[in-house]
Amino acid sequence: MTQFLQATVNGLLDGGLLALVAVGFSLVWGVMNIVNLAHGAFVLIGAYIGWKLDSSAGIPPLLAMFVAAAALLGVGYLVQRYLINLVVNAPIWMTLLLTFGLSLVLVNGLVLLFTGDFRSIPTSYGSDGLTLGDVRIPYGRLIAFAIAIAFTLGLVWFMDRTRLGLAIKATGMDRGAARLMGVKVRRVYGLTFGIAAGLAGAAGAIYGTVDTFSPADAGGFTLQSFVIAVLGGLGNMWGALAGGLLLGVVQAWSGQYLGGTLINAVAFAVLVTVLIVRPAGLLGKPYYEARVEV
Amino acid sequence: MASVSSATAPAGVRAIGPRQLVLGGVLLAGLVVLALLPQYFLLSSEQRTMAGVFMFVALAQGWNLIGGFAGYPSFGNVVFFGLGGYTTAILMAKSGVAFWLALPAAAAVGVAFAVLMGLPVLRLRGHYFAIATLGVAEGVREVVVNLDGLTGGNSGITVPAVGAKAVTSYPGNTGFYFYFLALALLATGVVWLVSRSRFGYGLRAIAQDEEAAAAAGINTTRLKVAAFALSGLLTAMAGAMYAFQQVTIYPARLFSVDITVLMVVMAVIGGTGTVIGPVIGAVLLQFLSEWLRTNYTDLHTFIFGGIIIVAVVLLPMGIVSFARESWAHRRISLLDTIRAYRL
Repeated sequence: MTQFLQATVNGLLDGGLLALVAVGFSLVWGVMNIVNLAHGAFVLIGAYIGWKLDSSAGIPPLLAMFVAAAALLGVGYLVQRYLINLVVNAPIWMTLLLTFGLSLVLVNGLVLLFTGDFRSIPTSYGSDGLTLGDVRIPYGRLIAFAIAIAFTLGLVWFMDRTRLGLAIKATGMDRGAARLMGVKVRRVYGLTFGIAAGLAGAAGAIYGTVDTFSPADAGGFTLQSFVIAVLGGLGNMWGALAGGLLLGVVQAWSGQYLGGTLINAVAFAVLVTVLIVRPAGLLGKPYYEARVEV
Repeated sequence: MASVSSATAPAGVRAIGPRQLVLGGVLLAGLVVLALLPQYFLLSSEQRTMAGVFMFVALAQGWNLIGGFAGYPSFGNVVFFGLGGYTTAILMAKSGVAFWLALPAAAAVGVAFAVLMGLPVLRLRGHYFAIATLGVAEGVREVVVNLDGLTGGNSGITVPAVGAKAVTSYPGNTGFYFYFLALALLATGVVWLVSRSRFGYGLRAIAQDEEAAAAAGINTTRLKVAAFALSGLLTAMAGAMYAFQQVTIYPARLFSVDITVLMVVMAVIGGTGTVIGPVIGAVLLQFLSEWLRTNYTDLHTFIFGGIIIVAVVLLPMGIVSFARESWAHRRISLLDTIRAYRL
């Protein structure tokens, strides 16, 4: 029972961070119908920015994550505006290939810059934790969880309460109509992608404080984002949060009871089942359904 | 070959004019050259490179059937490759079955798995289909890793290729050159036959508008599953040969997402839904990739990623369509293709 509780708590804490990783991916997919295979690479760039700032300049990760977010916001905007926008109207596998090529470039760029070694960002509170009954909650993971949830809720607020957020939503619902209402769709696409990359960067910098990372992890982050985005419904931020927590718990349970190497198989079994039974995700519908684009 | 496959001639009409004769002659001459190359021109290592090129021709054609003709972008086709390879390796290593019996067994496993997986998964469309297939491939890889009694897990499984336990003698680089050449020809031949058959026109109709195809009386489920099964057959055979060629195989390599992506890139850059496109794409990219690997070992993947980006932006409709358009309008303009798909 203790094991089960501990696994569940670990899963929930990891799941919060996973939700932050995936929420941008889901947003990009929902609004622009782009599956960004370079998403995991953005997470790792954020992690390396956090690591580099900590190891060379002594900037704590809680500050560095904002730097990572800002840097990736810019990078993401430029990538979407001047690269992905060029093939947005092509068949979907073109954007898949384009972002895969981007992912190869970014991940191998990271290998060339930082080698393939495992890194982690040390924190002063890393080894402490609080104990509730038999369940141990490390402060590091708790703080990471809180930050991740705060960022995700911040995104929800931004999307619902600001003009830009509403413009993004409107563009996702109907690009042609949004254009007619004066929304500058090219710029909105760039910003949407930038926001997603920025959140991924922040998630990466936080992730570095709770776990080790190397450039080879990029694919894993992208795949987990897939699963979460599908579970939660595309472009649905509450859904991404719920999907992240669910995936975290399912992975923790399967790690506890089935052995660590089957984690992805379980995640994908969940994914394929959900896709077949409820293709629109567990919560609500995706923005993108069959429709004519203008 | 490309012009024969173009959709203008109705199915069943096979006019043999001077053009077909010339094409046939060129094809025959090409085959003779390919058959003579190993003996007179190629070093052993070059034969191995060529075998790799032929393998990717077969893989890209396999993807072309489901991704190009039917318009279902499978991102998990490597699952057939891996299953074919593991079927062969397990049969040869554990049961002492000869390669020539293991190969059809692998093909049968590929077909069976494609049908089983296709029936539920082919109900999904677009990204959902792409990701479900990707998920199945990743899941099967982990299952293979965890069935280590049968598959050897992450430490791999070794096909007995030399010595007393070798059931089929190892054919060497020249042997595999011809195995993979035959497979590439088979795959291209299958795609050519499909492209001018009723089946192929049905698949194209599905790619363009599935509801309309169904309304026109096409049994879309049966056609899609058949295309997927054919794709699985060719891909599993490639995996079977690859396993024998490599001798020792590992799940990480045999179920690598990179192989799926390579076949997609090759088919797309050459031209999806055409007969010659995947051949061009596979030959170009595989040579390029080998050249980069030998000359820029460290930067190889980095540059290759860059090439994918450039190719997707400049040639989104593939080399074959680009060449046709350029010929029809008598001008070459990469900007036109970019204008067609940008926001």
